[in-house]
Amino acid sequence: MNIIVADHRQSIRQRVSLSLRKYTAVLRVSVANNLAYIMEVVFRTIFLVVFIYVFEQLWKTTFAVRGITALDGFDINTMIWYLAATETLALSLPQLTRLVDEEVRSGQLAYLLGRPCSYVLYHFAQYLGERLVRLVLNSAVAFTIALIFVGPPPFTWMGLLAWPLVVFLAASIEYVVYFSIGLLAFWTEETTPFFLIVNRLALVLGGVLAPLEVLPQPIRGIALLLPFSAILYGPARTLVHFQLLPFCWLLLQQVITIAIGSLLLFALYRMATRQVNINGG
Amino acid sequence: MFVLTSFVRALRFIAAYAMANIQSAMEYRISFWVKVFTMVANDSLWLFFWWTYFQQFPVVHGWQNTDVVIIWAVSACGFGISVGFFGNASKLATMIMNGGLDAYLGMPRNVLLHACISASDPTAWGDIIFALGAFLLFLHPNPLLFGLFLLLSLAGGLIFTSFIVIFCSLAFFLGNTEGLAQQLLGALVTFSTYPMYIFNGAVRVLLFTILPAGFISFVPLQLLHQFTWPLLAAMAGFTLLIVLVATGIFQLGLRRYESGNLLGMQG
Repeated sequence: MNIIVADHRQSIRQRVSLSLRKYTAVLRVSVANNLAYIMEVVFRTIFLVVFIYVFEQLWKTTFAVRGITALDGFDINTMIWYLAATETLALSLPQLTRLVDEEVRSGQLAYLLGRPCSYVLYHFAQYLGERLVRLVLNSAVAFTIALIFVGPPPFTWMGLLAWPLVVFLAASIEYVVYFSIGLLAFWTEETTPFFLIVNRLALVLGGVLAPLEVLPQPIRGIALLLPFSAILYGPARTLVHFQLLPFCWLLLQQVITIAIGSLLLFALYRMATRQVNINGG
Repeated sequence: MFVLTSFVRALRFIAAYAMANIQSAMEYRISFWVKVFTMVANDSLWLFFWWTYFQQFPVVHGWQNTDVVIIWAVSACGFGISVGFFGNASKLATMIMNGGLDAYLGMPRNVLLHACISASDPTAWGDIIFALGAFLLFLHPNPLLFGLFLLLSLAGGLIFTSFIVIFCSLAFFLGNTEGLAQQLLGALVTFSTYPMYIFNGAVRVLLFTILPAGFISFVPLQLLHQFTWPLLAAMAGFTLLIVLVATGIFQLGLRRYESGNLLGMQG
């Protein structure tokens, strides 16, 4: 009996290990693909530079005109580093919804379903690879600009260590959300409008344009409860203003969001794949 | 008289294409209206951000909420006119690279105008509806002021279109510049939708020359607040200048154009 259980455990371990190696390989290929077209990624950073410059000017002028040195705990240095962190994240999002939408409409999905890997996890590994390249480049550009504009960052070691974890979880939430929107192509003529609305809500209520502390009540309270704050505001605040209790609350919020989102995603995926007809020939 | 007749013919030509583009988009009626509604919601979310900003800081450098509504309305309407009527302008660089201009070279109409108006983005109508709605709702303008707003938005639309034509036409000389043109257009839209008081020195000069966001939103804002003929003349003069520069660069580049022998069909 013990031998059978041990064999079973070893078999599960082997399968998990093989699976991990498979998706790691997909991730590596995705990183290599994106590095091959690095100039395209570099081009996109022009927009990042413009955004950070505009916000730096906006908040510097606002602080100067109002004669204040800090706003809800954010002085100008923390504010600009916060905005650099949120812009880095927001502008590193790959065009996931469009990719899934096109695969559904063109029928490309049928080819991918036949491969010995999960369609959802295959895309997750590919998405992580692309996101990683964009994040690294965006961080380098945004942090250099912030350094030039307002000097050294207010980061603590705790914030720096926690940041990769909360960024990974935030990227996972975005994957779940935007992949689900892409799957809506099975039922709707267009998925871009859904993407646009969710994306803009994330920009405004997720704290990309300003920290959520700037929003008036009760909008601030609502925004803090929504998952958008766990994607952008939370990770950026962890980096520039690390506090243990908000960090633990953020982790909990991210894990719950991923769990609920994944359940919805897989339910949607099951419903969608039931509609796929593959005719061999 | 000849100039006037040509102008009227060009207007009728643009209107005919705009109508055909709308009819084409309306083939997918639900999709069309969802896109339009989405764009209205998208623009409204940006105004919401500014509303929250001015809740905290009611007046900054003399600017208040209604000023941001004006710059957003005039920029969105201008952008909507550009993308709604001259929607193919952003694809000029690709057309130049892959020989896509062949289809227009054999036609009796002006090549640049024909290429620009032959496609449209339905979301543009969302921008236009948002702009008109926001301006009427928050500013309660009299008919004269509303007429001036439409005129300035039209000028803004021509500036947006000329700007993208200039950078796409660089493809005749430098290779594919579509990515560069899109990034710069994004920067132009961004600068047009923020209050001018936050920019100083060299950047402000840049915003009235190479990246003419000042003429898209700031000058119209001044005119709508306090109308003066010299400022209107400056606005009209700059619009004419940028249209001429765009046409000139395109015509100059067209001499270097090499056909791709691309087989295509033009409806």
